[in-house]
Amino acid sequence: MKVLKLTPERCTGCLRCEIACSYMQTGAYQPAKSVIRVSPFEGHTSYAPYTCTQCAEGWCMTACPVGAITINGAGAKDVLDDKCVGCKLCTIACPYGTMFYDTSTRKAFKCNLCGGDPACAHACPTAAIEYTETATADWLGDFAAERVGHVLVLEGAR
Amino acid sequence: MPTRHLIVGGGTAGMNAMRTIREEEREPSEITLVSAERPYSRMVLPYYLDRSIAESHVFTATGADLLKWKVKAHIGRRAASLDARNNVCTLDDGTKLEYDDCLIATGSSAVRAPVPGADGRAVHSFWTLDEARGVIAGIAPGSHVVMVGAGFISFTILNSILSLGAKLTIVEVAPRILPRMVDATGAELVEGWLKAHGVTVRTNVKLTKIEDAKGRKRLKFSAGAALVGDVVIMATGIKTNLDWLKDSGVRVNRAIVVDEHLRSNVPTVYAAGDVAEGRDLISGEPAVHAIEPTAQEHGRVAGANMAGKSVAYRGSLIVNIVEVCHLDAASFGAWDDAKAEVMSGLKKDRNAYRKLLFTGDRMTGAIIIGRSSDIWTTNDVGMLKGLVQTGVSLARFKEHLRRDPFDVKTAFIAAKTTRTLLPETVLGRPSMAPGDSPVAV
Repeated sequence: MKVLKLTPERCTGCLRCEIACSYMQTGAYQPAKSVIRVSPFEGHTSYAPYTCTQCAEGWCMTACPVGAITINGAGAKDVLDDKCVGCKLCTIACPYGTMFYDTSTRKAFKCNLCGGDPACAHACPTAAIEYTETATADWLGDFAAERVGHVLVLEGAR
Repeated sequence: MPTRHLIVGGGTAGMNAMRTIREEEREPSEITLVSAERPYSRMVLPYYLDRSIAESHVFTATGADLLKWKVKAHIGRRAASLDARNNVCTLDDGTKLEYDDCLIATGSSAVRAPVPGADGRAVHSFWTLDEARGVIAGIAPGSHVVMVGAGFISFTILNSILSLGAKLTIVEVAPRILPRMVDATGAELVEGWLKAHGVTVRTNVKLTKIEDAKGRKRLKFSAGAALVGDVVIMATGIKTNLDWLKDSGVRVNRAIVVDEHLRSNVPTVYAAGDVAEGRDLISGEPAVHAIEPTAQEHGRVAGANMAGKSVAYRGSLIVNIVEVCHLDAASFGAWDDAKAEVMSGLKKDRNAYRKLLFTGDRMTGAIIIGRSSDIWTTNDVGMLKGLVQTGVSLARFKEHLRRDPFDVKTAFIAAKTTRTLLPETVLGRPSMAPGDSPVAV
C-alpha cells in the first residue's frame, strides 16, 4: 500500500500541505481545517508535518457505532459522510490524535489519502511529504526526540 | 457437525462478536442470535432524538442482513434461563436453544430514582429505542424538560433537547455534575458553560416525588422549591441485565467474571460488554466499564476466541467524551486516582482545562475540556488516549508538561508513542472494514 512518507528534516514549515489539504477536505483554504498538521520544534527553527498513519487496527473504524468509517480504494480509513452522525467516538478512540471534527457539518473527518492522490504530497516543495509504496512508520519520533532537549532548554530559559 | 454459537444480546458486544466469528472462522458455523430488540446502536439515539437522522439510521442489521450473514435470529425474544451444565438456553417463550458455546451480551437497562410517580405519565428513561420514541413524542418546542441526573446519559442528549427548542433544567443529587466523568474543577467549568447557554442546573437536590399538576409534572425535593415541567427524563443510572442467570452456574461478581479470553468460569460461556467484569488496562484489576468502546473490544475478542483463535485481551481503557453546546469534555483511565501525581492547567477565558495524572513516568489518567471549535481539543483528546493506552515513558517530558499541560503533542511525538502504537491491534491482525465482512452495518 502507498502511504504518506514523511521526512521531517526536509520540512521548511511553509504550510503549503495544510493549505492544499484543507481545500481538498473541506473546500476552504484554511490551515485550521487541514488533517495534516505542521508542528514547530526547537523554537520554530525546525518543523514536521503530522498526519494519520493509516494504522492496522483502525481504532476510528472499529469504534464507529454505525459503520461510517471504511477502507477506501487507496487503502485509507475514510469517513462516509452520509453515515457519520457526529458522535465523536472515533475522536476518542484514535490514539494518534488524527481524527478531526467539523463543527459546521457536525461530522468527523480525517486523512483519506485524497482517495489515492494526496494533495499534501503534491503541494510539498521539498519532498518532505512523499506518497510512496512503503510500510507506514513513526516518521517523526527520532527527529522530535533529538530536538526536544532544545525545547526544554528554551522553555526553562524563558 | 458445524459449531453452534449462541449470542444472547444484539447490542454492540453481540454484533461485534458475530461479525468477528464470521471473519475468523475456518469452517462455516451456525450462529443463533437472541435479541429482545432489532439490533441498533444506542450511541446514535441522541441524533435520532434531534431528528438529524431518520429512525432507519439507528439499526445495525436488518432482517435481510441477518439472513445474508446466515444468522438464525430470535428477535423480540429474551433469554429466560441458562443451563450452563447442559449447554441449553431457554427463551421467554419456552424455546430451548442448544449450543456449543454461548456469548452473554445482554447489556444494561435504565434505572429510575425510586420515588413516588417515577413510573407516571410523561416520565421517561432514555436508553432503548422505544424509550427514545417516547421522549421524541413528548417534547415540543417550548416544552420544559426536567432531566433528573447529571451524568453521561443526560449529557449525550442535552444538545438534542435544546435543538428541539425545549427549555432544560437538570437536577442532580450529587454536589456537582458529571461526578463519574470529570473532577470538581472540570465540572465547575462545564456547569458555568451550560448556564451561559441557558440551561438551568441544580445540584445537591434530592428528588422525593413526581406529581401530576394540571397536565404538567411537579417535581418535589427534600429541600428547596418544587419544579414544574412538561417532560421528565430520568437519567439516574443503569443496571446490568443478569437476573436471568440465577442458578445457571455462571459466576457473577459485580458482573460475569471473565478471564483474558472473555470466558466465564464455565468454559463454554463467554461474556462481553456491560455484563462482563474483565481486566482494566490501567489497574490490571477486574472492572465493569459499561461503555461502548469496551463492549466493542470485548465483543471482538470473544468472537475471535469462539471462532477457534486464541486471542488474549490486554484490558479495556475507560474513555468518555461528551459535547455540550460545542464544549468537549473527555476523560481517560484513572482520572480520579488520588495517589497519582497531578499536573493541571485551567484557562478560564478559553474554557479550557487539562489534568494529567502520572504514576511514575507513565500517564495513567487524563481529563480534557475545551471548545470543539478549538482544533487542538480534538487532536489532544486522541493523543491523551494514546499516551494513557500505551503507557510510554514520559520521563524526559514531565517537567515540560508540568509547566504547560496544554502542550501534549510535543511529548507525544518525541516519546515515540506512534512507534509503540503501530504494532498494536486488538485481534493480532489488521481490522477489516465494516463492508468487507458479513456484518456490514
